[in-house]
Amino acid sequence: MEEACLVGKKKSLQEVEAVTEPIAVEEATTVNSLKASLEAIKECDGVVGYIVRNATSASIDLKDPTKIIDYAILSSSALDAGKVLSELFDLGDASNIVVNGKSIKMVSLIVGESKVSLFMDRSADSEKVLRRLHEI
Amino acid sequence: MDTEVYSFALKNALNEIQNICPDIKNAFMFREDGEIVAGDANTPEKTVVRVIDAFDGVLEKADALGGVESITLDSSKGRVSISCMNDLYLVTVTTKKADMNYVNTVTRVLIPTVLKLIEKISPAPLKNSLSEPEMKPEIPMERKPEELLHGYAEETTAKELREPVQTEIKPEAVLPEPPVSQFIVENIGGLLVPSDTVRVDNELISQWNELYPGKKINDVEIETFGGKSARCKIKPIKESKHEGKGAIQMPGKIQFTLEIKKGELVRVKPIVE
Repeated sequence: MEEACLVGKKKSLQEVEAVTEPIAVEEATTVNSLKASLEAIKECDGVVGYIVRNATSASIDLKDPTKIIDYAILSSSALDAGKVLSELFDLGDASNIVVNGKSIKMVSLIVGESKVSLFMDRSADSEKVLRRLHEI
Repeated sequence: MDTEVYSFALKNALNEIQNICPDIKNAFMFREDGEIVAGDANTPEKTVVRVIDAFDGVLEKADALGGVESITLDSSKGRVSISCMNDLYLVTVTTKKADMNYVNTVTRVLIPTVLKLIEKISPAPLKNSLSEPEMKPEIPMERKPEELLHGYAEETTAKELREPVQTEIKPEAVLPEPPVSQFIVENIGGLLVPSDTVRVDNELISQWNELYPGKKINDVEIETFGGKSARCKIKPIKESKHEGKGAIQMPGKIQFTLEIKKGELVRVKPIVE
């Protein structure tokens, strides 16, 4: 009986190990596929750049580098505001926040562990961009 | 601009929007500088303040996007929309199942209309009281003036009106400023209808009485957008089917005096004595 239990424990440990490894791989894959998707999206009509950041790294690609600081603050503020509002009004998980500016539109969302903000012209199709990002 | 009137009109508009769109859970408005302009009954001021704080950073840096036109937050259980209207921001919180086309149609039509209307009518009282005292009409004398319209027009001379505001402040002026409401004129007639009395929603009269405890509101001042004004007695609307429609029932004689007719808009202010 005891032996059977031990065997059982060993088995479950093996299972845990077996599960842990693919998650790490999956995360790396997600980050890579996210970056690949963002690169592809960046080529879309009207998209002027993106900011993606997670706990360990950040990547910024903007056509106008003078806007980097403003856009980075905006991106961070918008995502924080979205979180506050979701909690305040009990709206569940925030899926995205879109700031429609008079000239530029910003779409921010969280993909896995990464916070993503995309900047595009006002006339660009943000729905299409969001669909592509949610597919990851 | 009379902030109280502004706020009152917008608050009513927000509540009406919620009545016709029950999927709107919360609605409120704030200025670019963070001042709360109006909010519905469902949203505590504390919550509004937190929302304004949360968006402070976004609005501050929005110049980088050419200024904010609107912000939309999509969540698993609902949506928050912030629309910029002139220097005001309208925030609406809707459920997931809300028909956003309908919500947007209502909010983006009703609120700008109310704002435009307020902008248009707001300078009227100031203009009336300072430069057009002669516009105040006299009621035809079938009874004594105090019985009809309490001789309001006669008592108010041009000289008195041009005096600085401070000279009119009496000890009882610590009472809150009388709220101004807008109504659409409806006809009222019949043998037993007094010609010096108008009728409004009982709820509004109760609100006025609550605002001024210990004082009984028996009279109101009615102002037209054409600059005419008159003082009348006030009674609640009798038939419940006419209540809550934003109407003021007015005898023909008062309409004639004020040079208005059914369907026109007037401003009504309680007179506290």
